[in-house]
Amino acid sequence: MKDRSGDGTGPSPSRRGQGKLEAHVLSVLKGAPEPVPVAWVQERLGGDLAYTTVITILTRLHGKGAVERERAGRSFVWTAVADEAGLAALRMRKVLDAEADRQAVLASFVTALSENDERLLRELLAAEPESPDLSAPPSSPEEDR
Amino acid sequence: MGLFVFLPLVLPLTAWPVARLAESRLHPRTATRLLSAGAGVLAVCSTLCLGLLMIVGTAQLPGNPLPDAWSDPEVRAALPYDEVAGRAAIPALLAVLVSCGVAAWRQLRARRRAEAALAGLPETSVTVLPDGTPYAYALPGRRRGRAVVSTGMLTALTSRERRALFAHERAHLAGRHHRHLTTVHLAARANPFLRPLRTAVAYTAERWADEEAAAAVGSRRCVARAIGTAALLAPPTTTPLLPAVTGAGPVPRRVAALLRPAPQSRTWPPLFTAVGLAAWTAAFGTTASALSSANSAVALFLTLRAATPM
Repeated sequence: MKDRSGDGTGPSPSRRGQGKLEAHVLSVLKGAPEPVPVAWVQERLGGDLAYTTVITILTRLHGKGAVERERAGRSFVWTAVADEAGLAALRMRKVLDAEADRQAVLASFVTALSENDERLLRELLAAEPESPDLSAPPSSPEEDR
Repeated sequence: MGLFVFLPLVLPLTAWPVARLAESRLHPRTATRLLSAGAGVLAVCSTLCLGLLMIVGTAQLPGNPLPDAWSDPEVRAALPYDEVAGRAAIPALLAVLVSCGVAAWRQLRARRRAEAALAGLPETSVTVLPDGTPYAYALPGRRRGRAVVSTGMLTALTSRERRALFAHERAHLAGRHHRHLTTVHLAARANPFLRPLRTAVAYTAERWADEEAAAAVGSRRCVARAIGTAALLAPPTTTPLLPAVTGAGPVPRRVAALLRPAPQSRTWPPLFTAVGLAAWTAAFGTTASALSSANSAVALFLTLRAATPM
């Protein structure tokens, strides 16, 4: 497996596979009772991953802030600091920060407000009583067409 | 083909009035479908005509790979201002193709990256990520897609508002709104005159999801509050996109629309209203665009076939 930094710009067909691998390594490391060396992780991954590949994945996870490492003698021992959802959150943030052109793919619930918008919005919400509302829409969306 | 070949390049202007009026006067579902379909047709016709112009222009360049007969006077006579228009079309078409290609590739990349970021998590319809930054996205997928929401967003909302948020994202995914958004996004790149349609559809698609969410949770105010709370979580942008001129941004307009009664759902607006006339103008423009590009394509094909020695 080629080493590829997390923010590589080219689209890669194996990116999804890599993401799964990272999540798998993290879940294995999560099960470690104490900071463990690379060989411990490699053993529990079930075989066909090379030692260097495991190091690469761990280093990448470290770059994302999902694992920590400390020196023990001549090598590192590793600890998981995030779970799979946490890792996904870290990766997602990176995607959201990187993709300026994402509007058409990822429709955001709300867009950024200007100062004027913020004032308008506060006025709109303040004018609205907290009372339980009875304004169910008169027509159901399925009626059309 | 005569002057007809130039028409599809400027006919997108006929869609401006409806793009302006549809936001407030049409049901958002109707507006989204109407505007994105129109934008798609207008963009395809405009690009086709650029292609036709480019063929005539390229045939006149020295050392071109096209048959020599394609630069005969009869072929050139088919196109008014053949020298200027033909040559100008070459960079224009290249710019359109590159711009659309880049946009499509970027979108694909963003989608792949977002999918890769979530790899290893179970494929549920809602994915909650532990992140203090408030965000919520609808991520379309091959089968059904999923809503991605941060804990920062969820903790700020009440349980009813959360339901509204999920209903909104589900509406995006179930209605496959990203297809409309992609269409107008690419169309705006194919012909800059279509940009107002992109802005309009980006807004009406959100309104569409808002209306569906309001129907699903049974309360328009609840959806309005969810949007308002979510929008106020993020700090306001310090640099306004266009100072003062633009008026209210999309979020206050969405909230205001939800605080009014539900819009009537009609497939087509009545003719004798402003929006009805605007819609018919756009429909006329789109039809004219399709007809004149088809006419030009056939005319050029026949001229070239006549000119090419068998």
